[in-house]
Amino acid sequence: MSIYFPASRCPSLLRSFLLLTAFGATATFSSDYAPKPFFEKHCGDCHDAGTKEGGLDLMSLKTDLANPQVFATWVKIHDRIRAGEMPPPKEQRPPATESEKLISWLRDSLIQSDLERQKTQGRTTLRRLTRAEYENTVRDLLALPGIPLQSLLPADGSTHGFDKHSDALDMSHVQIAKYAEAADEALDMAIAVQPQAPSVYKKRLSMAGTYIVDHILMNGDAVLLKDKKPDPNFLPSGSHKHIGQGEHEKAGVFSEDSTVGMFRHDDESFQPMFAKFAVVYPGRYRIRASLWSFFWNKGEVLPAKETGAARLSAVKLRGNGHGSSEGSRVLNYFDAPSMDSKIHEFETWLNYKECIGFNTASLVPITNYNRKGHAMAFEGPGIASDWLEIEGPINDVWPPESHRRLFGELPLQKLEKDSKIRPPQRVAPRQEIGHSVNKADVWQGTWTVISEKPLDDARRLLAQFLTRAFRHPVDESVLQTYLDQVKKHIDAGECFETAMRWTYRAALCSPDFLYRVEKAGPLDENALAARLSYFLWNSAPDADLLEKAAAGTLRKEFKAQTERLLKDKRSDRFVEDFLGQWLSLHKIASTDPDRKLYPEFNPYLQDSMRDETLATFRELLDKNLDAVQLVRSNFCMLNQKLAEHYKIPGVVGTVMRRVELPPDSPRGGFLTQAALLKITANGTVTSPVVRGAFITSRILGNPIPPPPADVPAIEPDVRGAHTIREQLDLHRSKKVCASCHAKFDPAGFALESFDVIGGWRERYRSTEIGDPVDRKGIDPNINIRYKWGPPVDSKGQLPDGRAFDGIRGLKDLLASKPAVLLRNLTEQLVVYSTGREPTFADRDEIERIVKAVQEKGGGVRTLIHELVSSPIFQSK
Amino acid sequence: MNSVNVGQRNPLSRRTFLRSAGAALALPLLDAMRPAFAKDGDAKVPRRMVAVETNMGILPNYFFPEGAGADYKPSPYLEKLADFRKEMTVFSGTSHPGVTGGHQADRCFLTGTPHPERGGFKNWVSLDQYAAEHIGSETRFPSLTLLMSAEEGFSLSFTRSGAMIPAEKSPSKLFKKLFAQGKADEVDARVESIRQGRSMLDFVADQSRRLQRDLSTNDRERLDQYFTSVRDLEKRMQRSEEWEHKPKPKVTAEPPQDLDDSKMFVEKSRLMFDMVKLALETDSSRLITFYIDTTVIHNITHHGNRPETLAELRAVEERQLAALKDFLISLRGTKEDGQTLLDRTMVLYGSAMGSANSHSNTNLPVLLAGGGFKHGKHLAFDKDNNYPLANLYVSMLQRMGIETDKFSTATGTMRGFELA
Repeated sequence: MSIYFPASRCPSLLRSFLLLTAFGATATFSSDYAPKPFFEKHCGDCHDAGTKEGGLDLMSLKTDLANPQVFATWVKIHDRIRAGEMPPPKEQRPPATESEKLISWLRDSLIQSDLERQKTQGRTTLRRLTRAEYENTVRDLLALPGIPLQSLLPADGSTHGFDKHSDALDMSHVQIAKYAEAADEALDMAIAVQPQAPSVYKKRLSMAGTYIVDHILMNGDAVLLKDKKPDPNFLPSGSHKHIGQGEHEKAGVFSEDSTVGMFRHDDESFQPMFAKFAVVYPGRYRIRASLWSFFWNKGEVLPAKETGAARLSAVKLRGNGHGSSEGSRVLNYFDAPSMDSKIHEFETWLNYKECIGFNTASLVPITNYNRKGHAMAFEGPGIASDWLEIEGPINDVWPPESHRRLFGELPLQKLEKDSKIRPPQRVAPRQEIGHSVNKADVWQGTWTVISEKPLDDARRLLAQFLTRAFRHPVDESVLQTYLDQVKKHIDAGECFETAMRWTYRAALCSPDFLYRVEKAGPLDENALAARLSYFLWNSAPDADLLEKAAAGTLRKEFKAQTERLLKDKRSDRFVEDFLGQWLSLHKIASTDPDRKLYPEFNPYLQDSMRDETLATFRELLDKNLDAVQLVRSNFCMLNQKLAEHYKIPGVVGTVMRRVELPPDSPRGGFLTQAALLKITANGTVTSPVVRGAFITSRILGNPIPPPPADVPAIEPDVRGAHTIREQLDLHRSKKVCASCHAKFDPAGFALESFDVIGGWRERYRSTEIGDPVDRKGIDPNINIRYKWGPPVDSKGQLPDGRAFDGIRGLKDLLASKPAVLLRNLTEQLVVYSTGREPTFADRDEIERIVKAVQEKGGGVRTLIHELVSSPIFQSK
Repeated sequence: MNSVNVGQRNPLSRRTFLRSAGAALALPLLDAMRPAFAKDGDAKVPRRMVAVETNMGILPNYFFPEGAGADYKPSPYLEKLADFRKEMTVFSGTSHPGVTGGHQADRCFLTGTPHPERGGFKNWVSLDQYAAEHIGSETRFPSLTLLMSAEEGFSLSFTRSGAMIPAEKSPSKLFKKLFAQGKADEVDARVESIRQGRSMLDFVADQSRRLQRDLSTNDRERLDQYFTSVRDLEKRMQRSEEWEHKPKPKVTAEPPQDLDDSKMFVEKSRLMFDMVKLALETDSSRLITFYIDTTVIHNITHHGNRPETLAELRAVEERQLAALKDFLISLRGTKEDGQTLLDRTMVLYGSAMGSANSHSNTNLPVLLAGGGFKHGKHLAFDKDNNYPLANLYVSMLQRMGIETDKFSTATGTMRGFELA
């Protein structure tokens, strides 16, 4: 059904007859009121079979409320009459008493029918695990905190903005095949195959001595340093003629203790890394790195003008490591203080064939490669890496925890060649990366777990595993079906490990694991534990939650458990996944800003944007700040990079921290975060329509109807002749467009003060017509090729008639209705946490939550507590 | 700060589980396989289809010709394909009714499902998968779903339940699947692994039957999807087990070397086109979809009418069309029973985006070459009130011998488009 209801009129003759047939006798609507006279008198002229305005014929509408489509249509009718939007304002108004009667009858009938459905079906429908849930669940279940599994599975759908919605979680044969593959991946990594832990590798590495870095050392994109000066053993490129790279390497000048000072940012053809180490054994590694920054003045090392930033990442190599990499993930950004080596230490999980990549994150892309005079002719900032130390894999126990989750304390034993049982097949791990010096340990033959009483052990191990995997105690009959399989495989001559592995794999592909089974009505304690942990950890309940559920005490201490989950680091998964979808943060990298228009953009800025948004929500959650701060706030979470972008002085370093804003700052709140401003732009231009629609639907909670099919989209033209606003004004002069656009464009107009990467602007950037840009204050290495085009106009008027002048005015208007913001956040969290959009019968409860939260100060954490204790959350 | 993680294998993984009794479902990514011993002696002319979508639109001004019918004046892009004027038809004024949502429409190019941008969107079956239900069993691979992209997650093919079929994007892996025979013990290991996989599927199907009993009707429907999926996979594995015993075709072509540089996307497409031709020529499959992801040029598609950006984009698109042309030449140069491969292969080429600059999904650029139609025309439909593109798909299905007059939003066959 369309929502476009223009207000033309057309008489009808047949309406009385049709009304009779539609409302003859229905079991679904309560019969203590007859809507016929109302519809006939106030609606029939437009919404009858003849005119059918907006595709709606009230006279022959179906009344079977059990049908979701019919139900949704009636909800819409209820809402539009209640809001006074129908009959249209210029038509004659029905007397208030008449409307109220109709509305209350409709409301009661709809609630009644909705509750009826919930009683038998539950609010929500059976859900399978999302990709993210699957990965986290397996990671937690098998104690493999960094195993990558998401990328093995087909992408999930999205409904009402979230992949957590039941309708978004389809199943297909492709999906099942992929689950089997992912289960193998996980079991391979979990099971110990040797009697001792892999030997720990611990070594300091220099970037020098790896081919690509030596190559740029030869050409002046980097220099070797010693004691904060050029290394006398290898003077900067350009100072004299070097012998060939190979001879230098042979002579050992690129030694292990050389500091590399780098000027070049990474790019498609340059990815520096500490390539002498590549992971053979996935696991936990400790990394230490010594970093600093300097200013290079044609051969001289001077103090840097500001603290630099270096990025370390895990780069996944391909094949033997000589081609390009398969991809990388950022480990973190690190401070590189001026002339002062700072040692950073952290632990991280690394996967097979990963090595540590390096980037001069804070630098502008330049190359001296073809510059005459190379490094000796260059003047600019550099980031220096003294060394990087790797230690690992770190195994506190052997066999590792992952293995113990599957085989407990059973001993490992070597299977000799003449053994009667069929051994599990093994392939000895190898170092496939040619240039890496760390090697695999000597293979000690086939070792596997041995059980004296295989069926007893299997019963014990499976009962434990299946309880964790299925998130509730397993019935004896179910356990028995798994044990039968163990027996079958052992009888067929398989070893204990192989037989057990078959059942673990089957469990990981079974519906009990892949689906979250809930029964209609109030959730039992196990299901409640799962709901809470999938909400706040995006993963299965831990042992503590399961114990509480088994003892039947979870509900009693629900608040304390909710607090425990929120305080745990795993709740970052919630923040990341929820914001990733609610505010489309997952899509922050989906457009690359035009390089000509936005030469200052780089990956460090993008990652900082993303972190700002996450850190801000975390701050609201941790400090229980008022949800009004979603739109207006007097602080930002910033690091140096983002503070420079926002022109806020005094923030030094890579770490995100809370920064109080000056009173006239346009920043503060989510609307003016660079991440959201980038996500809502296309890399070249901004559109008030897109941004306005984003705010209206995601922040204010009013879904935007799609545009009518026959209206062409705006063709962007950035040649400087027209602003988007001028084009939009043309478009909005069409009546059919204006009625809707007036609802959501205005917010977008206020955001016109921000460009596609979230920078403040007073004029648009243009590539052709415009005034030249004053270079003052801009990094001299940035190549400016854009001009200043027409000025920005950020005035507007909200649908309720309130006018604003620019972003601060808009924020004030939005902040003046805190209930709207809180209601929207509640509704978004309802979809995310229960897998179902708010239903008609939820409305009163949502209002109650909003009110309760407001009474307690409007805090975001209060909202979480109110939500999880509500029947919406606590019943299926 | 974690950015996108790229999938990887553990050193023990592949071979270990292939041979272990807890073995894998060694099902190729290329969807399932037909029964190894399909009925012989069927003298029907094999009809094939290759459907290609490029996801960032094609510049309309350089694509659509002037004038309708056989006397149309070719556009700059069609000039590049002038050699094939008599063997292809160009369409204008067509689109999928209700398919909107800008980039999100990419997944609807072969399905025509309305409103991919809306909540609750569920895709329909794609043209190739629909056809595979009828003619897929005649080849080792009922269909091939291919991709040129720097990323995962794009595909033109969708199952009947609306699930995306993951696409193969590595030409070298595809080559291996199509032609690498494997040693006898490897075949045995694969067969054993398939058997283990099938026994596991039986087991989990039983588990879902047990679970069904306690569920409400809505939940039961959801779980039924699981059960059906398990059964589907089981059937496919049974067929692949049969095929394991039949030798794969031998080709003289060298295995391709994959390219990594995302800027070389035209060269990467060419490599995949070469594989498509080999697959058709060896009759490994008759239904192939190929998604060409050109996100790497997304920026310049928002050209905002800047002349230098338009010129840059035009140069890139001309290189893409040159790749298409060379693919068509290779099909025309291959003979089968006295006809060319192109005569028997419908090559559909187009985009679900009419203008990338404005993200519109109407007036789609579409052409169809070869496959046994009366070609040589520009079939021009109403620009303001588009003609359903799915009608073309019905014509294509009928050309493949599938008796239907319905598919997606089609209202019949394509008007003015006749079988040769």
